[in-house]
Amino acid sequence: MGNLKEKVDKKQQKKSKRDNDSKFSEKDAMIKKEDERSKVNKPAEKKKKRKREKGNNFDGGDAIQTSREDDRTKAEGEKKRNKPRKEKQRSEEHNNALVGKYHQLGSESEVGFNEQKCKSKKTKKKKKEHDTSKEEENIVAKRGDTDHGEAYCISSVDEDCSEGLKKWLTDYHQSRPGLKALQQRLDEFIISHEEKLEQERKEREAQVAEGGWTVVKHHKGRKKTTDSESGITVGSVAPAAVENQMTKKKPKEVGLEFYRFQKREAQRSEIMALRSKFEEDRKRIQQLRAARKFRPY
Amino acid sequence: MDSDILAEPMDFKVSELINEVQIDHSPAFIKHVNDTVSSIRNSIDKIPNNLVVTGEEAAGFVRDVGADKVEFKFKKPKSIEIGGSYSIKCVVKPDISVDLFIQLPKECFHEKDYLNHRYHAKRFVYLCVISKSLKSDSSFAKVEWSTLQNEARKPVLLVYPADKLAEAPGFFMRIIPTAKSLFNAAKLDLKRNNVRALNQGETSLPTPRYNCSILEDMCIEDNTEFLKKTFLGWKELGEALVLLKVWARQRDFIHSHDGLNGYLIAIILSYLVAHEKVNSSMRPLQIFRVTLDFIANSKLWTQGLFLQKQGEIKILKESFVGIGSTIKSLRPGNPQISGLKPATRLLRQGVVFELNFHLAISSIWGVHLLFPFHFSLDFVSMSQDFLICSNVQLQNEASLTLQCFGKSGDSAFEDIFMTKIDFAAKYDYCVRMISGEIMGIYKISGSLSREYLRLNLKGNSEFYSSGYCLDEECWRLYEKKVQSLLSQGLNDRAKSIRVIWRNIPSCCSLENGLSTLDREPLLAGISVSSLDKAFRVVDVGPDAEKKEEATMFRKFWGEKAELRRFKDGKIAESTDPMSFSASLLGAFDVLSKRLRLIEDIPLKVSSVQPLDPAFRFTSVFPPEPHPLASEKNVPRLHKLMSSCIQPLEVMIQLEGSGNWPMDDVAIEKTKSAFLLKIGESLENSWGMTCTATENDVDVFLSGYAFRLKILHERGLSLVKREIGSDQGKRVSSADQKLFVHSQHSSMINGLQGVFPIYGPVVRLAKRWVASHMFSACFSEEAIELLVAHLFVKPLPFTVPCSRITGFLRFLRLLAEYDWTFSPLIVDINSDFNTSDKKEIYDKFMLTRKGYEESSQNICPAMFLATSYDKASEAWTRLSPNILELKRLVAYARSSANLLTRLVFQDQTDSYRWECLFCTPLTNYDAVILLHGDRLPYPQRLLFPSKLNHGRLVARGNASKAFQPFILPGDLRGSLDKLRNKLLVDFDPLRCYIADLQASKECNTLKLWYDSLGGDAVGLTWDRSCSKKRDREEASDGEDPIDVLKAVGEAGKGFVKSVYFLKSPRLMN
Repeated sequence: MGNLKEKVDKKQQKKSKRDNDSKFSEKDAMIKKEDERSKVNKPAEKKKKRKREKGNNFDGGDAIQTSREDDRTKAEGEKKRNKPRKEKQRSEEHNNALVGKYHQLGSESEVGFNEQKCKSKKTKKKKKEHDTSKEEENIVAKRGDTDHGEAYCISSVDEDCSEGLKKWLTDYHQSRPGLKALQQRLDEFIISHEEKLEQERKEREAQVAEGGWTVVKHHKGRKKTTDSESGITVGSVAPAAVENQMTKKKPKEVGLEFYRFQKREAQRSEIMALRSKFEEDRKRIQQLRAARKFRPY
Repeated sequence: MDSDILAEPMDFKVSELINEVQIDHSPAFIKHVNDTVSSIRNSIDKIPNNLVVTGEEAAGFVRDVGADKVEFKFKKPKSIEIGGSYSIKCVVKPDISVDLFIQLPKECFHEKDYLNHRYHAKRFVYLCVISKSLKSDSSFAKVEWSTLQNEARKPVLLVYPADKLAEAPGFFMRIIPTAKSLFNAAKLDLKRNNVRALNQGETSLPTPRYNCSILEDMCIEDNTEFLKKTFLGWKELGEALVLLKVWARQRDFIHSHDGLNGYLIAIILSYLVAHEKVNSSMRPLQIFRVTLDFIANSKLWTQGLFLQKQGEIKILKESFVGIGSTIKSLRPGNPQISGLKPATRLLRQGVVFELNFHLAISSIWGVHLLFPFHFSLDFVSMSQDFLICSNVQLQNEASLTLQCFGKSGDSAFEDIFMTKIDFAAKYDYCVRMISGEIMGIYKISGSLSREYLRLNLKGNSEFYSSGYCLDEECWRLYEKKVQSLLSQGLNDRAKSIRVIWRNIPSCCSLENGLSTLDREPLLAGISVSSLDKAFRVVDVGPDAEKKEEATMFRKFWGEKAELRRFKDGKIAESTDPMSFSASLLGAFDVLSKRLRLIEDIPLKVSSVQPLDPAFRFTSVFPPEPHPLASEKNVPRLHKLMSSCIQPLEVMIQLEGSGNWPMDDVAIEKTKSAFLLKIGESLENSWGMTCTATENDVDVFLSGYAFRLKILHERGLSLVKREIGSDQGKRVSSADQKLFVHSQHSSMINGLQGVFPIYGPVVRLAKRWVASHMFSACFSEEAIELLVAHLFVKPLPFTVPCSRITGFLRFLRLLAEYDWTFSPLIVDINSDFNTSDKKEIYDKFMLTRKGYEESSQNICPAMFLATSYDKASEAWTRLSPNILELKRLVAYARSSANLLTRLVFQDQTDSYRWECLFCTPLTNYDAVILLHGDRLPYPQRLLFPSKLNHGRLVARGNASKAFQPFILPGDLRGSLDKLRNKLLVDFDPLRCYIADLQASKECNTLKLWYDSLGGDAVGLTWDRSCSKKRDREEASDGEDPIDVLKAVGEAGKGFVKSVYFLKSPRLMN
């Protein structure tokens, strides 16, 4: 088993090296490569399936634990001492390949992607590299081992209703209990909500009464214009009518520049506006200078 | 006032642009050029004098141009001088080249060598000798062939020096032979025949273009001298030339052999100087405008330019006067020629010619003939009123650009100088033909069918048999043939047609002849006049009584002329999706009537408005009626029924009332109560089916599910404010969201009515965004607004009339718009006045305040202002954020490039098209693959995802609880039971995403997904997690593998596999 896996690894290693060398600029080329890879990966997958079938004999929850324990024991195994290094190498190459892919996305994709990744932190990164390499080793070590183990199998698909598709389906059906039930729920909610509000009001009043004071409040807003029973408007002013009236109102005959001070003020404010516009333009220009997007090709 | 305000940034940008593209004539650069020139000189000096040269040097070329006597004894060139744009300091990057004129010595030519392409052959052989010598010289890295203005019979040499200069990457010299005073100019009179092979029997046809071709070489040095006098020492004029060059280069359909080039622009500028239309007090941008105005509006274009200061040139005068007869005899077989107006007329100074196939400019030094301007010679072709030619296109483009100055406002600079206007983006349909076959009819659809365009170029031996070059080169004749065929076939369907064949590949070996020069594709661009016309089924031919025309028509169309009558059904295909929409709108009408009729609720329904994109034809999948959602009994089913249905939102308004509660929660509950009542009433009085949750009420009608929403006007004024939050973090109430939706919906609906192609473009754009897994960060409405902008502000283009063109422009807008420093104002009904715009700018500036501190600190990254939302709060307030936008822009750029490439060059392999909508999964840190057959609409999955990179972390089986299709076994039950099986708005992917976002383990993950039916979810480690890690080292222990396992668990039954590609560390 292990030999088989190693062979596959080596193959992949070669593959990824080749990937690095050849700079294929077309996406389809990349996809074809992927296809090739799938062929290479097939034996590995088969193996995984077999293992998984074994795993299925256990109870779902246990399966997780055992596989994790497996990992640990393997990590301690002496045989694999050389392994991490190899794995690391591989993963690095792999990452390079991925970066290469980024380039394929478009000639300028680096602007978007790579900038996003290593923006101005290049120097920091270098310093960090020493620290993080250890971390990387850890992860890689784990990686190597779990590679030897198997892909974790998501357990008890249709028995467990607390997560996943089955849960969503149950949720869906539970959320639609029928109109009557919903109506009832709503009524209950509104009643309790009103009670709560009433309660709050009473508490407030009680608090006020305790102090021996009566707070006189000014009621803001217009008079009630709807009949509380039927909800029919009584003597209110329809917004449309108001608007109509407003438009009919003649605009003021006297212009805003009647008085000299008004004129002066208008002039001054115009100058201010121009000045602010000028400032704004200058700012914009500075920004533009910083951004430097004047290359028409 | 307005343009004054804008002038400032524009001037600044223009001067920056000029700095960017102009090459600095630094001592180092000048020395580099001079060194190269002297090493070329040395190399030529090494060639022995009196070396006997024969046609054997380039037998293929000599044979193909049809020259007879080619032998001569090599003599050194009379002079070697620098000319062209370098000499007037107007070289424009990125092509850094210097023209080197080599004057051919008179001793090598006989007096009569202007005949039968002898000059051309000798010219080429002479160059061959030089090329040999240069190639053996180690100071040159590369020597290549090219041609002058795509004219194959006039090659030039490109010489790349071995020494490179960092500030001039890709620098090369162009060696151009000149023929100053080699021949008697009178012999090259335009009406004379100098190619004897053209003679048919006794008639001798004039060869104006052939003659021009030689005259051009004779005048080129003097012209340069003349330009130098005008340009040197006048900085602004030079800068204006640079601007014009940039402008023309961005428009590759006019920057071509039959359109503009740098040299021609310089001549036009000096013409304007000579006529005092440009003076020394003008700024470069002003000169630019004046020149464009001249190009667009001058009447001189129908007459020809004529530059003359002193003296006069008799030959020209005479030859132009004779041009009318010349043209007549050019095409003896063509009956329509007689219909032409007299082709000559007198100009002010002396000579005019209506055939402006070249500009004639005579000046103090003599005759200056410019490159042949093939312009309106097209009218010689078949169609009578056919004058669509590059000249018209040039004028149209110039006037479009002038409009940009007036209308584009802030973006004028970008529209004029920075936007690439190539065939793919400019024309609605592009046709690409390669030697004989039509390799790609890219954007042809509907009745613009390929049958019209079946041209057998190669098989058409009519052209080749008579030689590659007679008066005109055969490729130019093809251009015209294709152009006239297209314009005759398309008739008034096309607004403009442009055919260009840049037939000379970048590196070719001309020695072996010209037969390989048709490998490059011929491009034809077609602008559609209007969709109605373009997709018209029948072309009505001329009246049967006009026999001549009728026979012409029949001759052109052949059998098609008959067939057409029976082909009415053809257009049905393109209108098919519309019929679904018609039934949807019908169902909506019925619903709104029934809603208004409801009596048994306290408040009556006062208005009903559609909200869903489906109602405005912009949803990617127009809804189809579902048999289980209609009132009729379910017919025994013939095909698979989906078990899910997507509800379409409909907004209701109720009569006003004062009894509404005041607080937000209570309002929403009251609305639900109303909706339940409405649903019940519909059930009772019409027998409709209604299903509801606490928040949504859906009713079925005619196969559609409608989701009802109530807008309560008072809710609009209620704004929930988060405590202690600033202006940016307002939470708008449900009513506000509804209101904005309704505004958007009605606005887009109006737009869609004006531009029928709008909907299809939006659908493509939405699909693209989703298939690159941007569903989470780019809302559908924002996409609709971006596309709307393409239609309401089409400048510098015209409104797109095909979906591919619209889609390409969408991608370019997304990729190239300056999102950081400019708001995108989508002014659909031209609602905005100056103060509105100022308000928008103010709001925009507020959002960019934080920019100075950190470039990451801008929100929203994409500022979309509309009449209902001036502060861009509706659609892009939270997403895309600056990083998402960067990613989006990068994807858009690469897709736009791919699409452009597909139109221009690549093969018509359908596989390549798929890449536009197939996202590379390797760009994520981890990937979840889903069970494709557990998606609600498996048929919408474009490409099943495969992943062979990375490590498989978890895998799972598909759940049996959910099937996307109703199984035949389920059909036996009663209708009600069956209806319960129909899931309204059930989307496992959405549930999964919601669960993941809510779960604790996954808060370090960012999710990318395709809500339109993709089977993959991309994961990236969130940047913030790394920051957190710095702060709290303790909680660091989270293993990415464990996180991914948990992710898999959360989607059990739905998740097929989880792959791990990159560890979080890489994010730093």
